[in-house]
Amino acid sequence: MRALRVALALAALGGSGASAQQLPAPAAAASGFDHEKHRKLFPACETCHPGAAEPGAPIWPTAASCAACHDGTIESRVSWQRPTEVPRTNLRFDHSAGAEVKLHPAQCVDCHAKKGAPWMTVQRVLPERCLDCHEIKTAHFAAPDTACAYCHVPLVRATRLARQDIADFPKPPSHEQPDFVRGSGHGAAAKARKPVAESCSVCHARDFCLACHVDAPEQAPIQALASDPRATAIVVRLEPPPSHADESFLGGHGAIARRAPADCVTCHTQESCQTCHVGKPRVARALHRSAESGRGIGAVMRRRRPPWHGDNFATNHAQRAAAATATCAACHVRADCLECHRPDAARAAGYHPSGFLARHPAAAYARETSCSSCHNAGSFCTSCHASAGLKAAAGPLGSGYHDATRFFIAGHGGAARQSLETCTSCHAERDCLTCHSALGGRRFNPHGPGFDPNRLIKKNPQMCTACHGTVIPTR
Amino acid sequence: MTRAARLVLGVVVAAMLPRAGWAQGYRLRVDTRVQAAAYRGVTLDSIAVADTVSGPSGGPSTPDGFAVNCVGGGRYCRFFRPGPAVHSAPITTTADLTLWGLGVPGLSVRATGRVAGDLSGADRWPGTDSHVQLLEGYADYSSEHVSAQLGRQAVPTRFGFTGFDGGRLALRTGQQGLEVTGYGGWGLARGVALPVTSPALNPLDDFQPRQRQLVAGASAGWVAPRFDVRLSYLREVDPRVDYFVGERAGVDLTIRPARGWSLVGGADYDLAAGWWGSAEATLGYAALSGRVAATVGARRYRPHFDLWTIWGAFSPVPYRAGQVSLAITPLDRLRVRARGERYEYDNSETSTPLVSFETSGWRYSWGATYTASAAWTLDGGYQSEFGPGASSRGFEGSVSYAAGERLALVFNAATLDRPLEFRYDDASLKQYGVQAVYRPSPRALFQLDASRYAEDRRRPDAAAFDWDQLRFSARVVLLFGNGADMANLPPAVRRMPGGRAAR
Repeated sequence: MRALRVALALAALGGSGASAQQLPAPAAAASGFDHEKHRKLFPACETCHPGAAEPGAPIWPTAASCAACHDGTIESRVSWQRPTEVPRTNLRFDHSAGAEVKLHPAQCVDCHAKKGAPWMTVQRVLPERCLDCHEIKTAHFAAPDTACAYCHVPLVRATRLARQDIADFPKPPSHEQPDFVRGSGHGAAAKARKPVAESCSVCHARDFCLACHVDAPEQAPIQALASDPRATAIVVRLEPPPSHADESFLGGHGAIARRAPADCVTCHTQESCQTCHVGKPRVARALHRSAESGRGIGAVMRRRRPPWHGDNFATNHAQRAAAATATCAACHVRADCLECHRPDAARAAGYHPSGFLARHPAAAYARETSCSSCHNAGSFCTSCHASAGLKAAAGPLGSGYHDATRFFIAGHGGAARQSLETCTSCHAERDCLTCHSALGGRRFNPHGPGFDPNRLIKKNPQMCTACHGTVIPTR
Repeated sequence: MTRAARLVLGVVVAAMLPRAGWAQGYRLRVDTRVQAAAYRGVTLDSIAVADTVSGPSGGPSTPDGFAVNCVGGGRYCRFFRPGPAVHSAPITTTADLTLWGLGVPGLSVRATGRVAGDLSGADRWPGTDSHVQLLEGYADYSSEHVSAQLGRQAVPTRFGFTGFDGGRLALRTGQQGLEVTGYGGWGLARGVALPVTSPALNPLDDFQPRQRQLVAGASAGWVAPRFDVRLSYLREVDPRVDYFVGERAGVDLTIRPARGWSLVGGADYDLAAGWWGSAEATLGYAALSGRVAATVGARRYRPHFDLWTIWGAFSPVPYRAGQVSLAITPLDRLRVRARGERYEYDNSETSTPLVSFETSGWRYSWGATYTASAAWTLDGGYQSEFGPGASSRGFEGSVSYAAGERLALVFNAATLDRPLEFRYDDASLKQYGVQAVYRPSPRALFQLDASRYAEDRRRPDAAAFDWDQLRFSARVVLLFGNGADMANLPPAVRRMPGGRAAR
């Protein structure tokens, strides 16, 4: 029995804790000592593993004890070395001198062999055997919260675990439940015991919570966890809740945030709001800043065009902007408007694509959009045309430009009424008064459909005096 | 700027300056651009009618082959020769300053100014005169129920981006979404931050107002979950004679009847001229996923002229248009788009057997964007428009490469044919270029553009010519202040993993 104990202890050290968290096997196990092959030689575990029974005694056999048989004569020599690596485990129980629980009432096989297994068919420690003895009638990862601490120390005390060990922790089935991530899921589980459920602390520390929780300082369970940077080895990704996927959410989230900001502070910082609401810092007032110590970074937002902007929004935004200017101001600042509405003379491209200058006549003749929203006809159109030689005022009528239509001047009225803004980009009022004046010249009447002289006289008779002098006819 | 306006602005600035030093936050964005381009215009010339000959098209021309235009009864015919090359190098620096944390919650000061010039010395490039412009400069107070601005500002309304020196006050309810706005002051000219009295707005030495107009406007709006509506009114008055420069009223409406659907429209009425101006109605659908966006709509466009010009008396007629657009993402990386519009002018009540002209037109475009990877994007498209006065059609494409958020390269090319209706100028253009954008930090941006521009003005006479050139432009953006980055965001945003996408 002693030999068996030793053998089992050897196996236990080889896999101490590994069965619980699937840690890498130490050197002894890796060396390939075959317990089953030696089962007729060792009736007790303690033969090779005296430390399993006697505190202070070495847990491992010496190489010399192997050489008692493996001397090259009786048996071939072996090169077994006593392991030097300290087992990486978060188990409370192990066989080392510094273990939290050194002595355990169970026999070696109670932990290291399946129930009823043949002698020395040892394995790494089997969690279900632990659960059986402790009368916990569930699967390992379904054990109640209070059960974890029977066997495991909190993560912050499992100092031998490396980041990779923690990253390789298996995920309990409860964590796979759809509502575990939010709502009454993990939060309720953490609050199941004050100040925090022990089961959380086995695998997690506060740093893990900070991956998401902006409101960490206000959450007692999170504060109850100690800080440990290794906890971030378990990578968690903050996913938006289903409510955020609703089409109406983007348009209605402001009202929700104003009504119940506490719903937002778990995951969102002020920066979440300000990513889009650049011109409205006050909308984020109810939230925390991510820069504050002890807070998680929260949801990382990307500024994107809302779907309703569509693909032609730059051309078609005027009505929406006029109907609800404040809505625009939620995401845009004045500089955004001025970029186009007060265009920069040295800008090669912007609202218009590069090279638009060459094709602007077609867009301008029949106003694809209102040019005067952004360009002053005098300072922009006329001045440039005049510089290019298109200065109609240079002579009477200045008719030479329209050379593709021989009698253009005789029939220009229709073209002028259709594209009068285009005419005024080269022609001054004086050019037209040469013929269209009641005071002299050819006295052609320019008034056409929709002309309401009485209204115009009432609104601004000065306009009439340009052609009619002080004698303004009325209808 | 009038004396009174200067005084108001001076008082505002003076009141803020002592506090500016104590401002908890400031942001200064300095954007400098320079462009080197050349263009070749035309030079007016004339020839005695007796010296003209019959040209290839049957019309009169000069003996050396230029088509000429002769007015009946006149002794001389006129024509345009190709003009000399005009080189320009406009340079501008725009500074955008925001101060906040001035001791009064909700109070901030904003100013945007621009210095412009022409390095070539020719001063011919549009928009470089006047050399110093204050685009906006105002003190802003905002709380949940009140917003007030005082200084130079522009108000976006259905009538345009109306600029003025004065004040604006908006009152709103919290939950109901109602808002009433009133504003007034000394007006600026349309589309520019200069008063109508500025010589820069009168390159033809035409009639010009002697005083700035007084602007007064009001609007009432309601923003609700299913709709937004706003009624607007704007009047501009010539203070010298107390006559109207303009008076308009309008309505804008957005309805969201169902998820993804919207109906956007509006109309304005010119109270001074007594006719309807422009109007629009567009039904749109945009899937939340962004994979489909479509619109179908109708619009009407009539230009608006101030009453201190005579243009309104010439009865500009509107056109009516129907339009449709569609953009879909059939594959994850592919976006296909198309749009088209057909328009027709109202009867202008003019006719002559001597001249015929187009009274309707259409325009359409289609294209696709393929995002090959996070770094590479290909885009290509075609646009065509035909209508009164001028037409155009051509292909354009680009290949973009982005190395993270720091470096972006764009290679682009385009072709264009540009037939004109009233002039022998069937231009053909080929253009290709490259653009490089480098962001060494969130507070700096450098951009360089270079493009080859090759134009062939095909005419049936001697005025045909080729016109090739290289065009360059450069841009430097620098940001200063606390809490500043490329998009006015606080520093904590910049510390976010992965940064944030550039706008």
